[in-house]
Formats: sequence, structure tokens, C-alpha cells
Amino acid sequence: MDKKQALKTALMLAFILFFIVMMIQAIVGAYTLTPTSTAEDLQGLPLWQIPLVYMWDYVQHGWVCLGFAFTISGLFAEFIPKSFTIKYMSSGKPIAYVIAMLIAPLFCVCSCTMVPLFSGLIYAGGGIGPALTFLLAAPANNLLADIVTIQVLGWQIGLADIVAAGISAVVIGFLVSKTPWGKKFDQKVQKTPAQIASVELAKQPLDERLWSALKFGGYLAKRIIPAFVVGLVAVSYFQAFFPSELVQTYLTGAMGVVYAAILAGPLYTPTLIEVAIGKALVNLGMTPGATLAWLMGQPYDVPNALSTSRIVGWKIAITYSVLAFIAAVFSGLLYGLITGGF
Amino acid sequence: MKEIKVEVIGVDPPCARCKKTEENAKKAAAKLAAEGVKVEIAKLDVTAKDAISKYGVLVAPALAINGVVKLMGKELDAGVIERLLRKEL
Repeated sequence: MDKKQALKTALMLAFILFFIVMMIQAIVGAYTLTPTSTAEDLQGLPLWQIPLVYMWDYVQHGWVCLGFAFTISGLFAEFIPKSFTIKYMSSGKPIAYVIAMLIAPLFCVCSCTMVPLFSGLIYAGGGIGPALTFLLAAPANNLLADIVTIQVLGWQIGLADIVAAGISAVVIGFLVSKTPWGKKFDQKVQKTPAQIASVELAKQPLDERLWSALKFGGYLAKRIIPAFVVGLVAVSYFQAFFPSELVQTYLTGAMGVVYAAILAGPLYTPTLIEVAIGKALVNLGMTPGATLAWLMGQPYDVPNALSTSRIVGWKIAITYSVLAFIAAVFSGLLYGLITGGF
Repeated sequence: MKEIKVEVIGVDPPCARCKKTEENAKKAAAKLAAEGVKVEIAKLDVTAKDAISKYGVLVAPALAINGVVKLMGKELDAGVIERLLRKEL
């Protein structure tokens, strides 16, 4: 039994190590992990071949990045100490904002953990501020989104997205908690008495934890890859036929930032697809500033705002959506100024 | 006769991982039932106020045994649950 356990552990570690080494190799070798097809490559092909060629192009480059992203996301979800994170996030102290922005998103890759944690934080008296910060930072700053954004769009814009989304999440959470309706909401909720929680997590052996991590990575892949494939098909046609003059007219300059931020809102797309579409738009001429605004549009997309408004009320939902839109435009403009990318 | 109370704390409507954990808890319970241990399984909603005032904020799916949360934020195999249950005997 022990031998079998050791073998299992070793196999799993080897699997994880394989992806880490491949990823480092790709980074060191500056080997591109994104599709390299251009409109000219795709336009000559029969219609049905376009998505296949584009996808094959993506798979050839992207399997390392995706495998790495899923594996590492699973590992983080398993090994980040959750009780610790939750304890500080619901403490009502300023540190709650930092934890909600930096650490909690790392293990909240799918919405099935995001929304419950958000409402849990609120009902446990953690306050609307940190709960909103978490809700806004999680889709942009989860590990999976970070890795894929950096690989597909480059580390500059990836890093800018992480920093800008994180800072605006904290600012927005704080501001909303200071509005009259935010304060009223907090008072109403905190009447629920918080009892001492009885949580004594059992210890698990390493092989069980690794297995659990990989299983979660696989679960994420199963959930996300089908949507991603659909996204890639759409993006391939987009890349082939969307007139680049349109992009160059509307998604450049200061107004381009505003348009990108507006476009990103109602378009309900999972983060990874947003990144893929972003890549196609960049290839067609979208500027870095507009790209950043585009990436930051996720928190205020309509279905997201609707589902949170059921928990916090429409006043708070509208307030944070408007603030998130302003933050996206502001960050895009600032990034455009810094990079000179207007 | 020994009795163990198990609570599977998940999302409502149930997410795939919460459902799996519940199924596996039932499997583990059936195994122990064959040995004459009574295992009662209940389901809690992680976002419901009663669950939160009892256990605080949790990451779903979580598993509580006899009123103590043992594991959270992961899908649990039947074997793991069985081992945790045996510890209570």
C-alpha cells in the first residue's frame, strides 16, 4: 500500500513538473504560445477550414500554456490555506481588502466558488466593501486568467490588467461601502449574530491532496475548454473577415478606450474568450490602452451585475458597475499615456 | 448502535462537484451501514443564513461530520469520506 502511494505521488509530481519545465522552456526560449495566423493566411481557405486551421495553430502553440494553467490553478485551489484566507477576509479590518484582492482570487477560478463566497462574506458580516473587492478582482485576477492573458496578449498588458483591476477593485469596494446605501446595507446585514464556527479541517496525505488538485484542474479544463473552442471558432472568422478599418477607426485613440470599455460590458464572455477576442482585435489594430479597457470590462457585464443585484440590491449593483466602467476607461487612458499607444 | 451525522454543504442549485461529493458521501454511508453504523446525511446551502451562522464562511463543497467542518473547497472521494467517518467510530 505504501509503495503504491509513493508511486502515485511520484507520478503526479512528475506530471506537474513536466508542465512547469515546458512552460519555463517556452518563456526562456521566447517561444510564442499564441496563434500566428494572419488574415491573409486564413482568407484564401474554404470557409469550413478556417476554424480548423486556426484551432490547430492554437493547439500547437497553446497546449503548454493551457496545461500549465489548469495544473497550477488546481494546485493553488488545493494548497492555499482557505480557513486563513476566509478568516481575514471577513474580519472587517483593512487587511480584508488586500486578502480579497490578492489571495482569494487565486483559488476562485470558477463561478461556482465565487458567488457563494461573495454572499457568504456578506452574510457573515465581512462588509460589502471587501466582498465587492473580491467579486470584482476574482474574474480578472484568478490564476487561470492571469496566465492566459500574459501568454496570449503579452506580459506588459497582462501585468497592467492585474494591477489596474486589483487597484480598482479595492477602490470601488471601499467607495461603495461609504455610500449611504452601502452603509445601510452593512447595518442591515450585521444584525445576524456571528457564532464561533466549528471548523477543524482534517489532515490529508500528500497523494490525496495532489490527486484532488489535479482532479480540480481536469474539472476546470472540462468546463472551460468547450467554451474556449467555441470562442476560437468565432475568433477565427473574426480574424479572417472583420474589416480592420473598423477597428482602426473606432478602437484607437482616446475614444477607442471608451468604446472598448463600452463594448466589453454587455458582451457576456468568459474571461478566456475575452482574451482570445482581444487578441484578434489587437491583430486588427486595437491599441494597448483600448485593450486594457476591454479586458477590464468583465465585472460590469450585464448577467454578472444582475445576479449580484439579487444579493445586494440594484442601487449597489449600479454603483459598482458605473464605477467599474469609469475605472476601465481611466486605466485604459492612463496605460495609453504611459505606453504612448494611442 | 453508533450514529454519525454528515452534512454536505454545497451550492443550490448544486454544482457538479457538490453533487459528486454528496453521492460519494452516500456511498461511504452505505458501506458503514452494512457494518451496522447509522449515518445520516443532510444537505446545507453554503449561502443560507443558517449554514453561515453555524459554520461561518465556507468554500463549497464542504463536508461536516457531527457538526464539525472537516474539509472544504474540494470534491471528496468516497474512500476519503469513509476514512473520515471511521475516525468518528
